Amino acid sequence: MSNTTLSPPARSGSLYWAIQAKRNIGVRGLFLVVLGFMVAYGFLFHGLFTGSGFAKFTQSWFPLALVAMAQAILMLTGGISLAIGALVSLGAVLAATTITGPLGVAGGTALVCLAGLGIGAVTGIIVVRLRLPAIVVTLAGSFIIAGAALLVLPRPGGAMPPWLSDLLAGNTPAAFGVLVVVVLLWKLYLATPLGLSLYAAGENPVGAYRSGVPVDAARIAAYAISGLLCTGAGLFVAAQTGSGDPIIGNSFTLNSIAAAVLGGIGFLGGQGTMRGALAGSLLLSLMISVMFFLGFTPVAQYVAQGLIIIGAVAIPQFRMRAR
Amino acid sequence: MASPAPILAARGVSKAFFGNPVLRDVSIALMPGRVHALLGENGAGKSTLINLLSGALRPDSGAIEIDGKAVSRHSPADARRAGIAVVQQELSLTASLSIAENIGLGAYPRRFGLVDYPALAARAKAACDLVGLNEPLSTPVGELSLGRRQMVEIAKALYRKPRVLILDEPTSSLSSTETRILTALLEKLRGEGIAILYISHRLDEVMQLCQHVTVLKDGACTADRALEGVNAAGLVRLMVGRDPGDLFPRWDSTRMDRTAVAVRKLSAGLMRDVDLDVRAGEVVGIGGLVGQGQEDLLLGLYGAIPAKVASATIHGVSGLPGNVPEANERGLAYVPADRKREGLHLIHPIVTNLMLPSFARMPALKLRSRAKERETAMGLALQFAIKGDLGRAAQALSGGNQQKVALAKWMPLNPSVLLLNDPTRGVDVETKREIYAMLRGFAAAGKAVVLLSSDTPELVHLCDRVAVVRDGRIVTLLERGELSEEAIVAAAMGAERERQAA
Repeated sequence: MSNTTLSPPARSGSLYWAIQAKRNIGVRGLFLVVLGFMVAYGFLFHGLFTGSGFAKFTQSWFPLALVAMAQAILMLTGGISLAIGALVSLGAVLAATTITGPLGVAGGTALVCLAGLGIGAVTGIIVVRLRLPAIVVTLAGSFIIAGAALLVLPRPGGAMPPWLSDLLAGNTPAAFGVLVVVVLLWKLYLATPLGLSLYAAGENPVGAYRSGVPVDAARIAAYAISGLLCTGAGLFVAAQTGSGDPIIGNSFTLNSIAAAVLGGIGFLGGQGTMRGALAGSLLLSLMISVMFFLGFTPVAQYVAQGLIIIGAVAIPQFRMRAR
Repeated sequence: MASPAPILAARGVSKAFFGNPVLRDVSIALMPGRVHALLGENGAGKSTLINLLSGALRPDSGAIEIDGKAVSRHSPADARRAGIAVVQQELSLTASLSIAENIGLGAYPRRFGLVDYPALAARAKAACDLVGLNEPLSTPVGELSLGRRQMVEIAKALYRKPRVLILDEPTSSLSSTETRILTALLEKLRGEGIAILYISHRLDEVMQLCQHVTVLKDGACTADRALEGVNAAGLVRLMVGRDPGDLFPRWDSTRMDRTAVAVRKLSAGLMRDVDLDVRAGEVVGIGGLVGQGQEDLLLGLYGAIPAKVASATIHGVSGLPGNVPEANERGLAYVPADRKREGLHLIHPIVTNLMLPSFARMPALKLRSRAKERETAMGLALQFAIKGDLGRAAQALSGGNQQKVALAKWMPLNPSVLLLNDPTRGVDVETKREIYAMLRGFAAAGKAVVLLSSDTPELVHLCDRVAVVRDGRIVTLLERGELSEEAIVAAAMGAERERQAA
């Protein structure tokens, strides 16, 4: 092993960018579809390209983007969570009861984040260490967490500081800025050995273990991060509505799965990319907005949404079989 | 030869699984600068020995030594730290990660807590150059062929700069060019003082590459010697041979003139262009190393996987069955190797398992007659000596009795062709004896039996003819007179005597 000098990388970091470029291959088609919907939406709603129109649209997308990421991380490890919605609700009621209360903004936000991280980590430990099926553990967890949210705030109430609501859900694209930061942090995590191990731990756990990857740690960390993203989304939802609602997150559980699946994340672990999941959540948001502007009734919206999701899963399958 | 200390050694190790001894008092010493071959038939204990050396398993008795010193705890992590790298048969790669990320997996160079991609690129490139991998390092492994993935796996082992390199059948999926590169590489590594353990079923490779050989047979070491002065036939002889005792029934020819199955140019799964004739009243064995496509041959005949043929005739009717019900209709029955997953419904009662194929024949909406089912099941249990209450779940039975249920359930359909996939795997000796007698009994009753087996003595003592499969083709068809364990193993491993049969 001496010929290290043979053709050194063209420039520092080129391998990293080459790998990043290759990861786009599977989601190019999806990006095009998202772009198409974006154009259609811009055509229907001219305000999209004004400052406040963009701010409003990204605010409607933001919580879905976070929960899609939360679900995608778990699906990459070969798991899944049915507790996403309950965690969003819990984050919302914790924020609405503590931030205007004794803890203040910093303390309340810290509590929301710690709750997400802690509950996620405990879920992860139960799933990984006890080798229980994630779908059952998180289903049971969703009942417990939803119950906890109802204990904190039995009916909609609480309050958020108006300035925080204005900042996050007002006329500035602050939410979009936060999303950019979240994505950058994810890229940073994925550049750590533990983060990158997520793919190996999800797709080939035995091989990863033999290679010296801390498989259990990588999976538990994924559950913790997922929990953090969910309660974070809850805090945002509370800021959006100015109060806490113990069942506001319910729809996010299934929508997070829909977004991840639209984004090409596989159920078997290790398949898919976060950029795909984000694009999937954006597509879901756009679809809802476009259908709203086209005057679809809510029932028709649901049917169309379902058909599009089945199509999104089926098309790659057909293409694979055709090969 | 014992001048330098072995880098890695096992001293008198034994290992048993569930009271079943797999390795008995085996010793092996891996010397620096030597390529050491490990040979043995399927199930001889090679994989277990590798797992002991790599720390994946712990010996029941005996010791693992590194640099001459016995190590008390030998975990996979300890083994890695000691510089032991294993290239397993099942790959440890992740399809969605790039070549470089796979090579460095578990041992990434870091900078500020992040993966140091420039350093990874340089080190991965060096490892890839050694094995002749010239694809861009950013290529996802999922896009590579099986052979190239194997090369990535080897590069991954080299990336860790091992002192001991264990290769478990590294060439099974490699092209001849890749095999040549690997051979040259191993020569070079040997020159650098690395100890190499090389497991292969290709004797020509072993003869060419290795200096020392350890042969395992039924978990015991039958040879530990320099390869100089040994020929391939000698090695084969060391791997086979067991006293059959009175395990097998007396063999009498019951072959009839009527052809039961005749296929030309059958391709299914791994099998390519296979010609096979099976006559009524004979037992045709399918031999060869595990995973050469034998199972696909049975499944193809059975209509369970898509198959193509130039021509096929089963009992005078042309064409292969297109699906399993049609195969059953035409008199074929298949007993799978994995009885727990494919052969039986473990949590359901024995009687249900026995009746299942018969249910398929009944009118879908006619009410069942419990009394009649019970009567049929009792008859089968009596005929096959299946012990125990038929109302209990099938999982309550021993492995041998489970296998008898998996076989007996077809009898109400009175099949004329039995396709049996390793029917005695994991079965106790007494049941083996019973099953062997049944197989010859079926043949005597005019049925055609196709017996796929990983147990060579079984093929020698039960079969009228044995087709040996290698790389998806029947390489040799041995007639009764030519049957011997040596002949089958030699054909399976591609050593001499090839295609001497008509």
